[in-house]
Amino acid sequence: MSQAWVLGQRALREGWRTPEALLPTLFIPLFFLVVNVGQAARIFPAASTGFLHGQGYGAFQLPASLLLASSLATAALFLGEDIEAGYFDKLRATPVSRTALVLGRLIAEGVKGLLIATLIVLLGLSFGISIASGVLGFVLLVVLTALWTVVFAGFMQLIALKTRSAAATNSAGLIFFPLLFLTPNFVPRDLLTRPMEIAATCNPVTYVMEGMRSLILVDLEWDTILLGFGVVAVAGAVMLALNVRVIQRYD
Amino acid sequence: MQEGEVFGFLGPNGAGKSTTVKMLTTLLTITAGSAQVAGIDVAAEPDAVRKRIGVALQEAGLDPRQTGRELLRLQGRLFGLAPHAAAERAAVLLALVELEDSADRRIKGYSGGMKRRLDLASALVHEPEVLFLDEPTTGLDPASRLTVWDEVRRINERGTTVFLTTQYLEEADRLCDRLAIIDDGRIVREGTPAELKAGLRERRGLDADPTLDDVFLDATGRTRDRVEGDVQELSA
Repeated sequence: MSQAWVLGQRALREGWRTPEALLPTLFIPLFFLVVNVGQAARIFPAASTGFLHGQGYGAFQLPASLLLASSLATAALFLGEDIEAGYFDKLRATPVSRTALVLGRLIAEGVKGLLIATLIVLLGLSFGISIASGVLGFVLLVVLTALWTVVFAGFMQLIALKTRSAAATNSAGLIFFPLLFLTPNFVPRDLLTRPMEIAATCNPVTYVMEGMRSLILVDLEWDTILLGFGVVAVAGAVMLALNVRVIQRYD
Repeated sequence: MQEGEVFGFLGPNGAGKSTTVKMLTTLLTITAGSAQVAGIDVAAEPDAVRKRIGVALQEAGLDPRQTGRELLRLQGRLFGLAPHAAAERAAVLLALVELEDSADRRIKGYSGGMKRRLDLASALVHEPEVLFLDEPTTGLDPASRLTVWDEVRRINERGTTVFLTTQYLEEADRLCDRLAIIDDGRIVREGTPAELKAGLRERRGLDADPTLDDVFLDATGRTRDRVEGDVQELSA
């Protein structure tokens, strides 16, 4: 684990030194939050929209922004650059455990995910959004976002390890569009059309989003929260197993 | 290879030099046969091999966003040094490759020669028994090339065995105690540069010692006429 942390520190330094890659992770989700609320807030007034639980539409949209931020993690892109530059081979020639090689960047993504999620939620609070589940809910919300960031970054890392190309990895990142939009991101699942409802029900991101949303709009609704964390745990286990398998067979 | 020597591995493009280096340094799976480095089976104990070798591959594999000092510290930590020991080792190596003045600058701004020297230093962090250098001077200007040669000699004098691949026969002649020529995946000549030249002279009944270029051309079935012909054809 200490080797993974050493590599994680390097990845954090890298992130800090490339603000051009880090800042969009904060600003793009905020941009979409403002735009989506601007377009739909009048359709769903707080006073007469049951699923908002008395809050504004921004509170309903906040999870979508947090998940968008998770999707913009840069670990895989930088891994692709390391591979192309030959630095990854340099790391592979050291006696570091193969697992640490893939975990290092994921640890850094977790730390960055915590920071960015905290900033986005705090900005949301300053614009009138409140976390109905209190301080514990705030912590759970930020942790859930950070964990999903790690999972998503891990799957992207797999693409980098397979394609060995930063450009291909970047293009593959577009997968976040169907994952993010085949969800109940504008209205709850029961208000979606039947085909969209089926798609959203099959999409694991839906349960993470609903877990986040319950923390913001409702009190601690443990069934929904645990389902969200459960999906992250299962996806995380699959992601980690695949990463370890790929790195151990990497030639 | 014998302990303490500089061993040159020559061959035309595509002969298998880099593939061999990658297999010996655990970066590529050995699909047939076996190999030992520092007495250890590469396929059976890759981690034990990694602890004993240093690697500087064809493209200086560096992280442009780190400083030279950070890169060496990280390398030291990955080889198990404590933070303080890694920092001390980095300082020693930066002095060795004369990069102290640029140590805290990002690698992105280093020249090709500086990158190559830093890459060499990073391969020496853990004082390896065997150092693998894959075409260490390709793409460097003559002055940088001479600096790298000096470094390789200095490293070897400190007791490190060096395995060097190169396309530059002058480099092999100047640096290597012994060398092998590989062609199409097979070793076709092996010996000291002097032995190889003497062998060709005797076989061809030449009046003077041939150059290592002649040995190389002879070993790989190429001739000067053919090579010159190819060049003319290309330039036309």
